[in-house]
Amino acid sequence: MKRFNLFSVIVCLLVPFQVSASDLTIGFSWNSVTQPLERAWEDYMVSEAKVQGKAAGVNIKWVFNVADGDPSRQANNIEDLITQGVDIVSARAEDAGAINASIRAAKSAGVPFITFDRKSGSVAPTAHVGGDSYDQALTTGRAFADLLGSKGVTGKCIELQGALTDINAVQRTKGWAEVVNSRSEVSTITQVPTEWNPELFRSGLANALRANPDANCAFIASDFAITAVQAALEEADKWYPSGHAKHFWLATQDVLPGAVPLMEAGYIDVSTSYDAFAHSQEMVRVAIAIHKGENPGCSADGCLAKGRVVTPATIGTIENLWSKSYK
Amino acid sequence: MNTSILGNRILDFAFPIFLILVSLGFALVEPSFLGLGNIFGMLHAMAPIAIISTGMALIVMMGKLDISLGSIALVSMGVSAIMLQSDYSLFTAILITFLVGAMLGAVNGFVICFLKVNPLIATLGTMIAFRGLGNQITDAQVVVLPDSLRALGNFSFGAIFFDTVICLLLLTTVHLLHQRTKFGKIITAIGNDEATAQRVGLPVTQTVFFSFVIAGTLASIGGFFASAQVGAVTSFLGKGMEFTAVAVVVVGGISLFGGKGSILWGVILGSLTFEVIRSGLNYLGANPYFYQLIGGVVIFIAMYAAAIKLGRSANNS
Repeated sequence: MKRFNLFSVIVCLLVPFQVSASDLTIGFSWNSVTQPLERAWEDYMVSEAKVQGKAAGVNIKWVFNVADGDPSRQANNIEDLITQGVDIVSARAEDAGAINASIRAAKSAGVPFITFDRKSGSVAPTAHVGGDSYDQALTTGRAFADLLGSKGVTGKCIELQGALTDINAVQRTKGWAEVVNSRSEVSTITQVPTEWNPELFRSGLANALRANPDANCAFIASDFAITAVQAALEEADKWYPSGHAKHFWLATQDVLPGAVPLMEAGYIDVSTSYDAFAHSQEMVRVAIAIHKGENPGCSADGCLAKGRVVTPATIGTIENLWSKSYK
Repeated sequence: MNTSILGNRILDFAFPIFLILVSLGFALVEPSFLGLGNIFGMLHAMAPIAIISTGMALIVMMGKLDISLGSIALVSMGVSAIMLQSDYSLFTAILITFLVGAMLGAVNGFVICFLKVNPLIATLGTMIAFRGLGNQITDAQVVVLPDSLRALGNFSFGAIFFDTVICLLLLTTVHLLHQRTKFGKIITAIGNDEATAQRVGLPVTQTVFFSFVIAGTLASIGGFFASAQVGAVTSFLGKGMEFTAVAVVVVGGISLFGGKGSILWGVILGSLTFEVIRSGLNYLGANPYFYQLIGGVVIFIAMYAAAIKLGRSANNS
């Protein structure tokens, strides 16, 4: 009887440990936090970790750091996360090449590495989670070509590219090129690399407009700097809404909060959303799967969430567009 | 002796000649490059950096450096943008922008003049600290400016942009301050030999302090126009501007050792050189990293020309 009681006590003590959630600490390295998009990602990751973590019996903790756009600082930040003993490292890379060394460092320390939003260069991480930038440019480009075709306009476009070290910018250029090569309604008359710098969006577009007075449209690799695009078009007397004779046709990427009112007013003709919530949801799902030793089931390109085409006609009714609701 | 003077004259005119040749080269490929629209467009684009470089030139004339000017631009415009979002009037916000710039310049002046910290080290510290402060104020987010301020970015008198006019006014004022006033002569004296200037009883501390205040104010004005041009305050504002300003000053023929050069022509020549290269390469659709390469080569040539001139002066004395 005494032995039975002792056994019962031991069982009672052990049971809570058996059913309690396992801990998972994810160290996340931001390259920079300068846009509402990054804030939204982070907030959604934290909230989604609670939801998915509870369902999966995993208690997720986050450690975030920011590299302020400096690849070497990001490498140091990731090194710090590994030293702190996080279970998984994730990073949005400032530089696709420079992040390779950090992935190697994490792997040699036995820590899984998830690249987020921006893929690495030559070294494969444990998993990649992000948007499908190629598909994003492709869907925008096709919708743009359809629109111009329906209006009887032959588009001579200026392409404002992102930073050429950012794999998403490169994929968007490829996607747009695919459309230009396959459709007669649009062509690219000049490319302007911006390094994601708003000042270069403005001066680059202003220069390109002066050099190419026959340009009547632009493909903008991200609408985060849409005010700079607006300034350049105003300077050239080309900033008018759809329907106006001087309207300059605009196709953008992302539908970030600053672009929403401009699309509603008819200045932006077509865009494809970059779905922060879906990305964050996927990030947490993949992290939990890796933590549990399961296969996250990503495709060869990674776990990618596709965006949705948005136009002035649909922006008012499209559901769950984060940039409209996120505060 | 005559050969040396002739050599120095050739070096003095090397960059204006280079600028003309480069412009003609771009115009050969794309004739509209030298069209009035593009010339005024380039003057418009270079106005913010020329204003910031004017302050830098004043500091360099004393043989010192201020590498916090880009961060001052961010903090002062950050404050202004937040005030505008809180419904303060445009006039009040602009006034506060310039006051914040002057105040941050005074912080630099205080650390350098009264705590006796080397200017490069002092402003390296404040560059990092001010950028952090600026990002804190704006939450490192894009703050869209109201239409009234955004309109100022493209406001023009005919073909000449408002910021170009302000830039020329400020440049001329600072140039005259340097050339025609006692304050300017003390700056040159400090640049030539600070210890001697101090020994003969010149108000060195006050002059250095107020020069940093002026440079801070000019940085905030430059930041104001840079933000008005893009219609928003972003965390990119002023990033690397301090180094571009140093490059402008060097290419403009102002000696990094102080005491030599013309603020008006130096800043115009330096700013225009970089803007012509940027705009020209943009016209040709060149890779942006090619611009960095060319910019680096131009700075190297300017430094080399300055070193040759300095060597000649040393040999002659």
